[in-house]
Amino acid sequence: MVELTNYPLLSVLLALPVFGALFSAACRRAPWAQWIALGSAALTLLCALLVLLAFDSGNPTFQLVEAGTWIGGLNIAYRVGVDGISLLFLPATALLFGGAVVASWRVTATGAPLAPGLYFALLLLLEAATLGIFCALDGILFLFCWEATLVPLYLLVSLWGPGGGRQTAAVRYFLIMLAGGVPLLLGMLTLVFAHAKGGAPVFALPTLLATPLPEGAQYAVFLLLLLGFGVKVPLVPLHTWLPSMAMGAPAAITALLVGLKLGAYGLIRFAIPLAPLAARELHWLLAGVGAVAILYGGVAALAQSNLRGVLAYLSLAHVGLVVLGLSTFSVSALQGVLLLLLNFSVSAGSAFLVLALLQRRTGSTDIARLGGAMRNMPLLSGFFLFFGLAGIGLPGTSGFPAELLIVVAALHSHTGAGLAALFGTILAAAAFLAPFRQAFFGPPSPELATAEDLLPRELALLLPSSALILAIGWYPRPVLELLRPTAEAWVAALAGL
Amino acid sequence: MNAFAIFAAALAATPPLVALVPLLPLLAALAIAFRLLRGHGEAQEAVTAGVATAAALGALLLLLVLDLAALVREAAAVTILDDWLHIGAVPVRLSFILDAYSLPIATLVALIAWIALRFSATYLHRERGFGRFFLGMCLFLAGMLLIVLAGNAVLAFVGWELAGFSSWLLIGYAWERPVATGNALFVFLTNRIGDAGFLLGIGLATWSASTVEWTGLAEQAGNGSLTTVTLRLLLIGFTVAALTKSAQLPFSPWIARALEGPTPSSAVFYGSLLVHAGVYLLCRLQGALVQVPDLMTLLAVLGLATACYGGLCALVQSDVKSALIFATVAQVGLMVLFCGLGLFWLAALHLGLHAAWRAYQFLLAPAYMHLVHGPAKPVPHWLARRRWWYTAALQRFWIEPLTHGLLTRPTLLLGRDARALDERFIDPLVGAPRPDEAGGDEWATDELIRGHGLAGRALFAFADRLQILESRLLLSGDGALMKHLQRLVNYADAVEQLLEQPRYLMLMVMATLVVIL
Repeated sequence: MVELTNYPLLSVLLALPVFGALFSAACRRAPWAQWIALGSAALTLLCALLVLLAFDSGNPTFQLVEAGTWIGGLNIAYRVGVDGISLLFLPATALLFGGAVVASWRVTATGAPLAPGLYFALLLLLEAATLGIFCALDGILFLFCWEATLVPLYLLVSLWGPGGGRQTAAVRYFLIMLAGGVPLLLGMLTLVFAHAKGGAPVFALPTLLATPLPEGAQYAVFLLLLLGFGVKVPLVPLHTWLPSMAMGAPAAITALLVGLKLGAYGLIRFAIPLAPLAARELHWLLAGVGAVAILYGGVAALAQSNLRGVLAYLSLAHVGLVVLGLSTFSVSALQGVLLLLLNFSVSAGSAFLVLALLQRRTGSTDIARLGGAMRNMPLLSGFFLFFGLAGIGLPGTSGFPAELLIVVAALHSHTGAGLAALFGTILAAAAFLAPFRQAFFGPPSPELATAEDLLPRELALLLPSSALILAIGWYPRPVLELLRPTAEAWVAALAGL
Repeated sequence: MNAFAIFAAALAATPPLVALVPLLPLLAALAIAFRLLRGHGEAQEAVTAGVATAAALGALLLLLVLDLAALVREAAAVTILDDWLHIGAVPVRLSFILDAYSLPIATLVALIAWIALRFSATYLHRERGFGRFFLGMCLFLAGMLLIVLAGNAVLAFVGWELAGFSSWLLIGYAWERPVATGNALFVFLTNRIGDAGFLLGIGLATWSASTVEWTGLAEQAGNGSLTTVTLRLLLIGFTVAALTKSAQLPFSPWIARALEGPTPSSAVFYGSLLVHAGVYLLCRLQGALVQVPDLMTLLAVLGLATACYGGLCALVQSDVKSALIFATVAQVGLMVLFCGLGLFWLAALHLGLHAAWRAYQFLLAPAYMHLVHGPAKPVPHWLARRRWWYTAALQRFWIEPLTHGLLTRPTLLLGRDARALDERFIDPLVGAPRPDEAGGDEWATDELIRGHGLAGRALFAFADRLQILESRLLLSGDGALMKHLQRLVNYADAVEQLLEQPRYLMLMVMATLVVIL
């Protein structure tokens, strides 16, 4: 067998969507641009699967590392690699972007007539930046990719979003994210200068992880990073951009915005391990923020009038569960958190894609304007139900083992917050099934009489993610064992202080 | 070696086959789901029904073989196939328990489900959603068999939720009728309370007893290695789950609402099988339960109260299914009473007999009017004379409106408040727009730039002030301050009014509890 680790797999992974973007932007004819985009998304997915194959699950350190000088004087390098924490995000991202391409088939800009090639080019650039966030092992490279996601998102939302508020939504999202970037940059700089102590600055993540900071600096770094990532996660009360974007963005883009939990990844990768003492002292803050998010998201989702709003607030409750899991600092909870994030990317992302398909048929995802959608679209309704149930953690879906691991660990370390999470499971079920009943059940509304069910192409898009959810749900052990060495190392690094 | 010895040896090797028992209906469900995906669900009814019936029959035959093996062996067995996952150092195994409680009940479950499936193939002939119905039934059968045969709490919980979900699916079978889907939602959410209790029990078992196996739990409870407090908390979790599923007080109202589904599904779910799952769970936990006498007393009291409640309500019902369901609740209350008195064997015996009898009655219910000659019996004289009792029974003791007023409504109102909080306070504060409601193009205004949100407005206000300062070097203090103060007072008033609402008082009490814990 060919030794996969000898190839620069991660660089190829990052380069593929960039090249795809260039080609599809250059392409004059709309259908060709779509096929180029789909092709490069598929190749990226294939490459992500190769990374999964090349990964040695027994080794908790960074693997497939590639390094090259970028800005020599400041010690900034192009340094990429994966470990058990970032590994599963890569195929999930690639899968979700592939889905987004299919769901955006024959997309048209709301305002001016624009080349569809541009849309797909921006989408692929966004994919490259997102994959870069998961691979980056250098502080500045990470921040670069982090901010690089904003430009394509801004353009995609402001040019292709439905409805009148799209431009203001895009501007505000851009500004809020930039504002969130400030504490992030400050935190990163504090970290680096505290390390440098007069010498050359250090940006390499492995080095930063190996040499912990003095305690005072850790508090500053942790709180700054928590704030910066908290905007993106989003944590209550920094969350209002999420529902407004979920309603203002093009339907396929919302799947990416909600499905990809970049903020949570930042917390796991940077905020907690880089400031371990502070994180351990402030565990009550994390648990409290998590519990509040679970309850607030669940309760607020009950009052939404649009299916997208419902899913957006439910995702708030989900990240609450993630943060609560992190606050326990235990191996099983971290495994649960990573599995939950994977499940969430796949299930919430797919649910939003289903909504994108629904929107294209009915022109709206407003609950009041649907009703009885099951009559003409039984398959579409069935898939939406399935992904929603995976989101609320029904056994048999990948959400269940994840929630089980987190809740059990939380009951142990923060009993009050664990009880809140249990209450949250009831709320989440209510918040999902009540709007589902209103939108899909009941006497069929005459507006939906002509809507057609899923096409074979769309079915092919949804089947792989359903199969993944079911497979992990019924036999979660291989995935969990894959994550275990890294999770153990992560917890040991925290406990060893 | 004689033939009998070979036969006995073959039987002794059967226990691992038990995994196939819940797996068969599950595979059938998967197959039916695939047929639905390809649009074959309604067309070839015979195939759909055939797959489901064959799975149930296969499970039944396998169970009969396992029964025979258990008879020959004359001992209980626990079969461990593999580890499903690890919670920290605690393994959750794919373990099945084969003893005098699980085997007879599992066999009964498979038998009743098989009969009900055979019955439904004709009962639902040419109905819309034929495939959906059989999908739900197969999922339910898998879940129920898993509850009964599972050797640990997590696996039982998987079955528990599968059964709950399939009941949602079947109560809402006629999804075009809002009443049916509303009832389905009500039932699922009530059961979700029990599920949360079950999870609490699993969590406490994991970190206090380091095991989730039923046998391990009973052992640890028996040798006193658990403190009374943890044991009590853990059992409270499981007991809440059992009481919810078995429709005991105060969770009873859901079951009367659960009869919206097609008759065969009502028969197997609420009449005979699902409603007994709670009692079965109590039997499973008997080793631990007997260590906590006060919980046993509570069970006995609740069981007795439910028996009275069910009995009284059954007397005043005007349709067959409702009368049957309240009679069922009353009988299940008696079983819980037996459990509370420590007579677990009697409860299990009662369970089996009652399940068989009710399945027959419920399947017969649609034809009841043909079978019964003469008018229905009126309300007994002694009840009709006591007006208060009569009204209470008719109103089902007002449990449902009470829970609605105390629990559901405040939660929904809180949701509305959360939305208002987002829209009126947090959005203006950070300046996030609401594209769904904002509408209109803000770029059309003649201002060059506009500040939004607290930060934006503050910046603009600051700029204005600076400009005034620059141009006039004078302060404009006439009454502006008073106006701001007045505004502040108004806000404070609004907050106080909100805090006086009962839901916020409740919320504060809950928050205090959480903080204390």
